[in-house]
Amino acid sequence: MASKRKQKRQVGQTAPTRRYAMVIDTNRCVGCWTCAVACKEVNNEPLGYWWNRVLTTAPNQAWSSQSPAAAPPASGNIDVPYGTYPNLQLAYLPVACQQCNDAPCVKVCPVQATFRRDDGMVLIDYDRCIGCRYCMAACPYGVRIFNWGGGEYAPGGIVGYGEDYYVDGHLVFTPVRPKGVVEKCTFCVERVGVGEKPFCVESCPLGARVFGDLNDPDSEVSELVNDGGAERLLSELGTEPNVYYLPVARRVPAES
Amino acid sequence: MATGTAALRAKANRSARPIAWWYAALVLVMAWGLAAWIDELRVGLAATGMRDIVSWGLYILTFAFFIGLSAGGLIMASSAEVFGIKALKPLSRLGVLSAAACVCVAGLMIIPDLGKPFRILNIFIHPNWSSPLVWDVLIISVYFVFSLVDLFVLQRRARGTSKWRATARVLAYIGLPAAILLHSVTAWIFGLQISRAWWNTSLMAPLFVVSAILSGVALVTLLALIAERWGRFSLPPETRRWLRGFIIVSMLIDLFMVGADYITMLWGNQPAARAELNLVLPNGPWSWLFWCEWIVGGAVPLALLLVPRLKRLPGSLGVAAVLALVGVYAFRIELVVVGFVNPLIQYPPGNAIGTYNASTSSFEFVGRYSPTWVEYGIVLGLSALFATIVTVGYRWLRLGKSSSGDPSGHDDTLPTLLADKGASFVGGRDQWP
Repeated sequence: MASKRKQKRQVGQTAPTRRYAMVIDTNRCVGCWTCAVACKEVNNEPLGYWWNRVLTTAPNQAWSSQSPAAAPPASGNIDVPYGTYPNLQLAYLPVACQQCNDAPCVKVCPVQATFRRDDGMVLIDYDRCIGCRYCMAACPYGVRIFNWGGGEYAPGGIVGYGEDYYVDGHLVFTPVRPKGVVEKCTFCVERVGVGEKPFCVESCPLGARVFGDLNDPDSEVSELVNDGGAERLLSELGTEPNVYYLPVARRVPAES
Repeated sequence: MATGTAALRAKANRSARPIAWWYAALVLVMAWGLAAWIDELRVGLAATGMRDIVSWGLYILTFAFFIGLSAGGLIMASSAEVFGIKALKPLSRLGVLSAAACVCVAGLMIIPDLGKPFRILNIFIHPNWSSPLVWDVLIISVYFVFSLVDLFVLQRRARGTSKWRATARVLAYIGLPAAILLHSVTAWIFGLQISRAWWNTSLMAPLFVVSAILSGVALVTLLALIAERWGRFSLPPETRRWLRGFIIVSMLIDLFMVGADYITMLWGNQPAARAELNLVLPNGPWSWLFWCEWIVGGAVPLALLLVPRLKRLPGSLGVAAVLALVGVYAFRIELVVVGFVNPLIQYPPGNAIGTYNASTSSFEFVGRYSPTWVEYGIVLGLSALFATIVTVGYRWLRLGKSSSGDPSGHDDTLPTLLADKGASFVGGRDQWP
């Protein structure tokens, strides 16, 4: 590892035989935001930029845009339960790029700066993006972030981690966030490329995130997706995400 | 009529100074726009009011507006040929000139919206053919070149070179479908997006075409009225009647389509669509757009054009044209901004907006947008560029002199239509303004 980090620029390979996927078990998530902060660190996201967020929801919400969602608590703050006492409900929904197979962002990008690798990762070439933000208009999940002004960092904050990482000549990870381009969760392509897991998976204290290869029938993600009842967000839009969610299985009190 | 000639001469001399002031004002506004753009290049798009929820704003909606404006002129000029509407012929060159200026300004309007404007050539180097934006850039370029060629041909024809007549006719047959294609492709930038319930309707392309005709005809009407007031352009009563008819019909179809879209969303009651519609319906935070579209840009101009007592008022056509433009602009704001305001997934804390403010949250539930002075500056600067192109083009092409008559003899009804004004043109040196 250490020797690889010393290079000025890393070059990664696509693994076309694989299809990377992530399963998030919403039974386990406690809404601690460790994954979101870890993501911020490893990707050097400026203040006010979040590639990964942990939303406070009622159990099993947001699977569909057609079913009426529970009205969020008036405060709009995190960790506030839904419903009225004593019938309160609370669950968490970590949301980052859903790495869609039929990604609207890939379809609309005029310059092919956003592209989907054969292994399922949706990436952005920061050197090619013209910053038109059409992909942000196209994304149903609101997970794309535009770098409006370069961003500011907390005093003594993080100054970048890792090296520039190229895939097929595309700059898909860079420690210094470039101004004027769109950015988003990359499934930690630069870590997966050297056999590590995405940093949110690594950092989740509850093991709620599982990462692996869907083409391998024996992998944990395959098991969870095929037999565990994993679902996708807004699946009726046909985007076919590679991020799956295990719905909350505990008994949900009926609305009174 | 002799006194009329003298009066015109006097008018021409009087207006020599105002044109200098007009150019000075335009240059000033364009300089402001350029300064604003330089500031934006330095700061980044943080200089604008756009953020991560409402990520398109004044630039894109004004772009869509100018694309729409470019329709009217070309459609009118082409209709004059294709459908043989002779009364529209005096507006041919003015219409195509305004179309060329609009499409040029619309193309430029995209550039300040880009985070990396100097990479714009990537659209041609690495085009992604599934993106409506690539098709739009292509058709905008083609349309711009086409309108220049059309203008050249029409100018030749107006100068009496009869061999250009057939060419002008062929171009008219290309221009009409080209204009419709341009607006459809621009509409599909929005209409194809499954993530935006507000946009994702098959009505979008027809709606764009008809609102483009409405705003474009209104603009050409306004330009012709201005040219008549301060220049020597003449707008015969028959032409006025056609313009009035064009505005009335396209406005009615436009409002019908918007209304049909509202009804569909109301009836369906799907949460994502209703969340958007509630924003613009009365009592919603964006309901001022609703009133702008239906009353200011709908009922009032329709009354001005249809109610017999009102339509005889001298300024009714001009005022109706201005209000129609206001209404279509409100529709563009409604389309672009409101489409962004409600993300599909809205749970606490909401979406990160991409700015850090220690006193408030970096997250928002429902998007907010108000343009900054940088955005206003750039948009006004480019609008001034439009006015400059039209003014320079108008004088250079001498539209004030001979647009009224088609000396090719192609049009035999016009001289009679223009009989009241025509005499004062004879022998008049083309010194406007």
